[in-house]
Amino acid sequence: MSRDFSRYHRQMLLPGFGEDGQRRLAESTAVVLGCGALGTVVADMLARAGVGRLVIIDRDFVEMTNLQRQVLFDEADAAEALPKAEAARRKLARINSNVTVDAIVDDLNAGNIERYAEGADVLVDGLDNFETRYLANDYAVKHGVPYVYGGAVGTTGAALAILPHTERGDAPWERSDSGSKATPCLRCLFEEAPPPGTMPTCDTVGVLGPAVAIVANFEAAEALKILTGHFDRVTPTMLSFDLWTGSMLQLKVARAYETGKCPCCKERRFEYLEGRLGSGTTTLCGRDAVQLTHRQNAGRIDLAEIAARLEAHGKVTTNRFMLRAEIAENGRRYELTLFTDGRAIVKGTREGRVARSVYAKYVGI
Amino acid sequence: MRNTSASERASIYFDNAATSFPKPPEVTEAMARFLAEDAANPGRGGHRMAIRAERIIDDARAKLARLVNGSDPRRLVFTLNCTDALNIAIHGVLGDGPAHVVTTVLEHNSVSRPLQALADSGRIELTRVGCDGAGFVDPDDIRRALRSDTRLVAMTHASNVLGTVQDAASVGAIVREHGALFLLDAAQSAGIVPIDVEAMCVDLVAFPGHKALLGPTGTGALYVGERCPAPAAIGAGFKPWREGGTGGDSSSPTQPPVLPYFLEGGTPNTVGIAGLGAALDVLDRMGGAAILEHERRVLETILARLVDDSRFTIYGPTDVARRVGALSINIAGLDPNDAAAILDDTFGIATRPGLHCAPYCHKAIGSFPAGTLRISPGPFTTDDDVAALLEALDQVADAGM
Repeated sequence: MSRDFSRYHRQMLLPGFGEDGQRRLAESTAVVLGCGALGTVVADMLARAGVGRLVIIDRDFVEMTNLQRQVLFDEADAAEALPKAEAARRKLARINSNVTVDAIVDDLNAGNIERYAEGADVLVDGLDNFETRYLANDYAVKHGVPYVYGGAVGTTGAALAILPHTERGDAPWERSDSGSKATPCLRCLFEEAPPPGTMPTCDTVGVLGPAVAIVANFEAAEALKILTGHFDRVTPTMLSFDLWTGSMLQLKVARAYETGKCPCCKERRFEYLEGRLGSGTTTLCGRDAVQLTHRQNAGRIDLAEIAARLEAHGKVTTNRFMLRAEIAENGRRYELTLFTDGRAIVKGTREGRVARSVYAKYVGI
Repeated sequence: MRNTSASERASIYFDNAATSFPKPPEVTEAMARFLAEDAANPGRGGHRMAIRAERIIDDARAKLARLVNGSDPRRLVFTLNCTDALNIAIHGVLGDGPAHVVTTVLEHNSVSRPLQALADSGRIELTRVGCDGAGFVDPDDIRRALRSDTRLVAMTHASNVLGTVQDAASVGAIVREHGALFLLDAAQSAGIVPIDVEAMCVDLVAFPGHKALLGPTGTGALYVGERCPAPAAIGAGFKPWREGGTGGDSSSPTQPPVLPYFLEGGTPNTVGIAGLGAALDVLDRMGGAAILEHERRVLETILARLVDDSRFTIYGPTDVARRVGALSINIAGLDPNDAAAILDDTFGIATRPGLHCAPYCHKAIGSFPAGTLRISPGPFTTDDDVAALLEALDQVADAGM
């Protein structure tokens, strides 16, 4: 059956694209992990480019402070506090009605990623925390699905397309005429996700809209190359930049796989996917409260440093045992209590996904 | 950057009211031995391994029946935990038609919830009797709540929040005189507070194997007294809560009305029961009364330090003679969940915050909805543990925000 691809004419003019490339896009599924600043740009680009099916997973709701950089949302979405995944689905339906969009309003975790990511031809990173990135990385390596990592905070950004080494070594990108194009995975570069509270977050140090857009568009470009089968064109280096200082780097990462002992892609241990590493939540008895704990030893948290970051958001108090911060989001008030081993109690909710979201935004995980 | 955190050190354990810890090594050994040598499905008339498994269960059954002075071990039903035992009792005797039931505000959700669900569905009428400020139910209040159609009185033997031991014998006498059935929830008492179903006029007593009895989780028991209706899967009588394989009389189309199998549908937790049997021998050696005395001494030491300190609120009586080893406190300016998190994080001390599955009790003592911090020592609590707890509480109390 021939399809009308005329709306993609300017894209089909590109070298190596054509109608064949367009058809491959139309038959492919991209899973967008997180639909905030990065995810909205990625989803927008991929929908306009004609990717057949987009799965958009996000646990949060649209807020006014998102509109500075999250391009698919508007003031009406914020006023309604629509789930981001649903707001994105509605907007994308008007941008390109040929695209099927599955909106999933949920916390992506070890218990559901296998279900939500099933059928993915590529995973594209729009996440706000490293723990879930390591989960996505595990999924990608285990199932041999390309994963485009991207992150932006402050005026900096980084992105890397990961073409995973598979168990049998027979993925299309491993059988190229010019040799395997497989890349290191996240765990080749950094064996574990950074300990909680050690990384800046957009909600505590801010983020420059253009920095996000550069990372997201780089990710979208890599995803389009992957979905059209142009694995030899996938950028083999990691993009890293700071728009404020003007530094732009292409980091060579290939040796990280060759010289390392990656537990994930070499030993094929998927500790985040199996829930051995990462955080877990429990709804506490008594007042509305959820406790978040880390399965691995998270080290000792520097409460004073985190207190300094949180001061812009509201009242913060600390003593030698704990930090307490009042946080307002979407007209709801949460009380975050953080302890020295990285555990936290989020009051004002009974939902684990809300607690994880608050933790990811304000402590960093 | 990675220092040793409290979470990596062994815990100082003050959560024995949830489950006792540590378990005696004899328990671990008995379970390991059973798994290695005898882990067959018990059943009468089977092969020698099945018979050995059956024997281990029968031995434990006899010991538990003796523990509550039950006249007939066949009336001792193994259950999956105390909640299972309470559900078997409640649904068993309330399965036939409408009835009035009396319970108290001290109950754990394993009593309150099944009763409330029956009340909400219109199958029973429920009267919930209050307690005094210290956490004791007045037996006369039970007497006043009884009606001509009262079929069951369900009461805890000792509050899991306050540790207060109730006057079960007086309640039993009142209920017996009236003619209703008396169900005693012995979750916090079995093993350390004497239970005599005859002398105390108890018709049904439910208890877990993993608390004061020192056995593994996944074990519990219900003693079904002779005044209870006869088992009957259909028609009037004691209803089965679980139906299924009973290891014998497979030709019967419904649950054969023979105790204990009538109420034990499905493969029992033989491994756990093997452990529980060994635990009962340890308990015999240590002596339940001596353990209770030890726990009361620990509470006395803790109370002596906290009771005149205005930073702490103490719930329940300050006289430990009417307590089992459970103490609820609050620390000024600190949510109990936060207090428990600090105790665990900074000091490696395990306590239990919140409502302890007993919301009516917390309402009665004024600690709802935040709950309390519960400190529950056990037979293996040492003086060093107590000193560490008191030092930690002193430091934490200065951390109120």
